[in-house]
Amino acid sequence: MAIVCFITVPIGTILFKLFLGPGESWQHIVKNLLLDYSLNSFWLILGCICLTLLFGVSSAWIVSRYNIPFRRPLEWMLILPLAIPSYITAYAYAGFFDYGGSLELLLRSVGSKPFRIDVMNILGLIFVLSISLFPYVYVSARAVFLYQSGRLIEASKMLGVKEFRTFLKIVLPISRPAIVGGLVLVVMEVLNDYGAAKYYGVSTFTTGIFRSWFSLEEPSTAIYLSAILLILVFVFIFIERYQRAGKDYTMTAKSDIKLPRITIAKRKQIPLFFLAFIPVFFGFILPIFQLIYWSFLTFENINYTTFFSTAIQSLAIALLTALVTVFFALLVLYFPKWNALKFLKKSSRITILGYAIPGAVIAIGVMIPTLQLDKWLVKMSNEMFGVKIGLVINGTIIVLLYAYMIRFLAVAFNPIESSHLKIPESLSESSRLLGKGYLKTFFKIDFPLLKSGLLSAFILVFVDAMKELPLTLILKPYDINTLAVKAYEYASDELVMEAALPSLCIVATGILPIILLNRLILK
Amino acid sequence: MKKAYLILAIIFSFTACKSDKKNQSESKEDNKPETQEVNVYTHRHYPADQELFASFEKQTGIKVNVVNAKADELIQKMTEEGEQSPADVLITVDAGRLVRAKDKGLLQTVDSEALNKIIPANLRDENNQWFALTKRARVIVYAKDRVKSEDLSSYEDLTSDKWKGKILVRSSNNIYNQSLLASIIANNGEDEAKVWAEKVVANMARTPKGNDRDQVKAVVAGEGDIAIVNTYYIGKLLNSKNPEEVKAGNGVSVFFPNQEGRGTHINVSGAGVAKYAPNKTNAIKFIEFLASKEAQEVFAKANYEYPVNKDVTPSELLSSWGEFKEDLLALSVLGKNNKKAVITFDVAGWK
Repeated sequence: MAIVCFITVPIGTILFKLFLGPGESWQHIVKNLLLDYSLNSFWLILGCICLTLLFGVSSAWIVSRYNIPFRRPLEWMLILPLAIPSYITAYAYAGFFDYGGSLELLLRSVGSKPFRIDVMNILGLIFVLSISLFPYVYVSARAVFLYQSGRLIEASKMLGVKEFRTFLKIVLPISRPAIVGGLVLVVMEVLNDYGAAKYYGVSTFTTGIFRSWFSLEEPSTAIYLSAILLILVFVFIFIERYQRAGKDYTMTAKSDIKLPRITIAKRKQIPLFFLAFIPVFFGFILPIFQLIYWSFLTFENINYTTFFSTAIQSLAIALLTALVTVFFALLVLYFPKWNALKFLKKSSRITILGYAIPGAVIAIGVMIPTLQLDKWLVKMSNEMFGVKIGLVINGTIIVLLYAYMIRFLAVAFNPIESSHLKIPESLSESSRLLGKGYLKTFFKIDFPLLKSGLLSAFILVFVDAMKELPLTLILKPYDINTLAVKAYEYASDELVMEAALPSLCIVATGILPIILLNRLILK
Repeated sequence: MKKAYLILAIIFSFTACKSDKKNQSESKEDNKPETQEVNVYTHRHYPADQELFASFEKQTGIKVNVVNAKADELIQKMTEEGEQSPADVLITVDAGRLVRAKDKGLLQTVDSEALNKIIPANLRDENNQWFALTKRARVIVYAKDRVKSEDLSSYEDLTSDKWKGKILVRSSNNIYNQSLLASIIANNGEDEAKVWAEKVVANMARTPKGNDRDQVKAVVAGEGDIAIVNTYYIGKLLNSKNPEEVKAGNGVSVFFPNQEGRGTHINVSGAGVAKYAPNKTNAIKFIEFLASKEAQEVFAKANYEYPVNKDVTPSELLSSWGEFKEDLLALSVLGKNNKKAVITFDVAGWK
C-alpha cells in the first residue's frame, strides 16, 4: 500500500489540482482550440497506429518466418530506431528535405534537377513518429511469433490452410495482446511528443498543454488538458481489455516448437529483404546519415572535456534509473498478489499511467510533494536542533530518479508482466504448498523465469532514460548534465547542427543494449 | 521536572537558531573564501555564455553553478522552492518572463550604481528588479531578387493585399511573436491588434512552422517573399558552418520597420537577483560583470546581439545594417500584455 501511495502521489497531486477548476482561459480554449487539438491528436494517433502496425508486424513476420539474406543483422537493426530520440529524427528529416538540405545536395551532385518534399506537416509528423516508434510493436510481435505460434501454425498447415490465411486467422489473433501492448507504448509516446510536433507546426494536445501552462500562465488549464489526455488513454486501454475479456492468454511457458523457418526461392527473397529493410533505412540509416553529416560540419565547436563527462553522467543516471524502475515494477506486480488485495491489483494499474503524462507535468507533480517534505524537514531541523539546512531532497539526484521511475514504470511493467503471464500460476502455487514463503518462492521460482523479461525491461528503461528531456530539464541537480539536455540546448537555440554530436552519442550508447535486447528475445 | 527540561530545550533550540541565523548572515558578509559561489538559473545556453561564466570565475574566484532550462520552467521551479530556493540570479531571453517573475515576487530590488549607469531606464525594471543585458530587433527580411526595400514600411503594412501569400513567420507559441503582438496591442489597442493578426494570417505563405532560420531559408527557396525574424538569427546563418545556410543568409536583406513612426520592436535578454538569493552580493557582482564592457563585447561578437552598454559597438555585421530607431516602449508592458497577445493569436487563428 505504501508503495502504491509512493508512486501515485505525484499523479494524485495532479488529479487533486483538477478539482480546483480550470483557469479563466478554459472557455477560450474550448471555443477556439480544443477541436483543432483533438482532431490533430486523433489523426496523429490513428496514422501512427496504422503505420507502426504496418512496419512493425510485417518486418517481425518476415524476419521470424523466412530465410532471407542478412536476416540476423536485420533482426537487431530493426530495433535501432528506438535509440534516436524522436524529436531528433524529426529535426534530421526536416534537415534532409530542407532548402539546401542533404537531398538537394545529393540530387545536385548527380546532376539531376533538385526537388523538395515538404515533411513539415501532419503527414510528415505521422511518418517520422511512426518510423522512430515502430520497434515497440516489432519487438513485442516478434517475441510471440517466435515462441508461441509454432505449434499452432504447424497444425494449421497440416490441415491444409494456406500461409497467408494462417497468418491472418492464427498468428495475428494469438499475438494480439503483445502487439497491443507495444501499440499502447507507441500511443503514449505519440501523445507525449512535444519537440517534433512543435517544430513541424502541428498543434496537438501536448503542445496545447505547454501553451496554456506557459504562454497563458495557467497550470490549472494545462492540467485540465492533461486530464482529457489521460481519459483518452484510459479509454484506449479499456476498449482493448474489454475486447480481450474472457480469453485466456496465459500460455505454457514456451512452446517447445520454435517457429519453423521457410526457405523460399531466391527471387522472392529479395523483395522480402527490401520490405524488412525499408523501416531500418528510413528509421535509422537516413537520420544517422544526416546527423553524421552535421557533426562533420560542426565537430570543432564542441568542448570535448565537458562533453565526455556529460556522456559518463548520462550513462550513470540511465543505469541507476533502469535499476530503480525495474525494482519498483516488480513490487507493483507482486505486492498485490502476495497480499491478496483485489482492489490493490486494480489500483496498481494506475501507476503505469505515468508514461502517458507529459514529462513536464510529472516533474511538477513530483516537485510539489517532495518540496513539502523538504520544507517540513527544514522546519523540523530548525526547531528541533537549531540547525539551518538547505533543501535536502530537491535538487538532488533522488528526486530525478523518483520522477524517472514514475515516468518509465509502464515501460518496465509491460515486458515483466508479459513474461510473468507466461509462468503458470501452478508453479508458484506448488512452491507455496510445499511450505516455502513468498520471498523464497519469488527468488527460487519466479525470478529465474522472469529473467529475460526483467532484462528487457531494464534495457528499455535505460534507452528511454538516455533520451528523456523535459523532466530532466526541470529536476536535474546543478552539476549534472545529460546528453539529451545538451542536444536540446543546442537545438532550442536553433543550433540544430551542433545538436548532432550529442545525439549521435545517445544513439551510440543505445545501440549496444539494444543488440543485447535482441539476444534476449532469441534465447 | 520533565516539563521544565522540555521548555528549556525548546528555548535553547530557539536561541540557538537565532544565533545561528546571525552567524550565517555574518559569515555571508565575512570572507568565506573556499565556498564562494553564485547559483544561476538561466534560459540562455550559448557557448559564449559559458565562456563568460568561466572568465567571471577566473576574475573573482566565485564559482558559477548553472541550471539551464526554459524560463517558464525555471520560474515554476523558483515558485515551488520558495524561501529555500538556491537561485541567486534568473536570466531569461525576453522581457515578458522577467516581468512575470517580478509579478510573482521572485525578484528583489537591486541598488547598483554601475547597473543604473550602464543600462538605460527603458531597458530595466522601474524598481530595478531586473536589467536587460542584450537587445534583439524583430525585423523583416526580404528576398533580394524579388522585393525592393521601398515596398516595405511597417509591421502594420504587412496586412496590405500586396503581401498575399508572401509572408513567412513562425508559430505564435514563440515568445518573440507574442512580444511583438504585445507591443502592437500597447501601441494600437487590442481591437486593431486582432485585425492585424487576422490579416497577417490571411497573407501567410504557409501555416507557421519551424524556427526563425527556417523562415529565412523558405524565403530563399521561394516559398514566400518576406519573413519576420530576429536579427541575431541572420548573424548566425551568415556565420554557420553549413555553406547552404550561409547562402540562405546572403539571399536576404534586413529591413527595420516603423522607422517613420515609433521604431522597430526590440526585445531583450536580461537578468534579476532572486528574492531569496543566498549569495546576494555575488549575484549583483555577477550581473554587473555581464553588463561590463568586457562581457558585452563577447555578447556582441559571438552572439550577434545588440549590447546594452553604450561603450560597446555592435559587431561588424550588425553595424553594417546601420543604426535604427528603436521602439522605446517600456519593456514591462510586453509582459503585462503577453496573455492578451496569446489569446488574440488564438482567436485570429495564428497557429
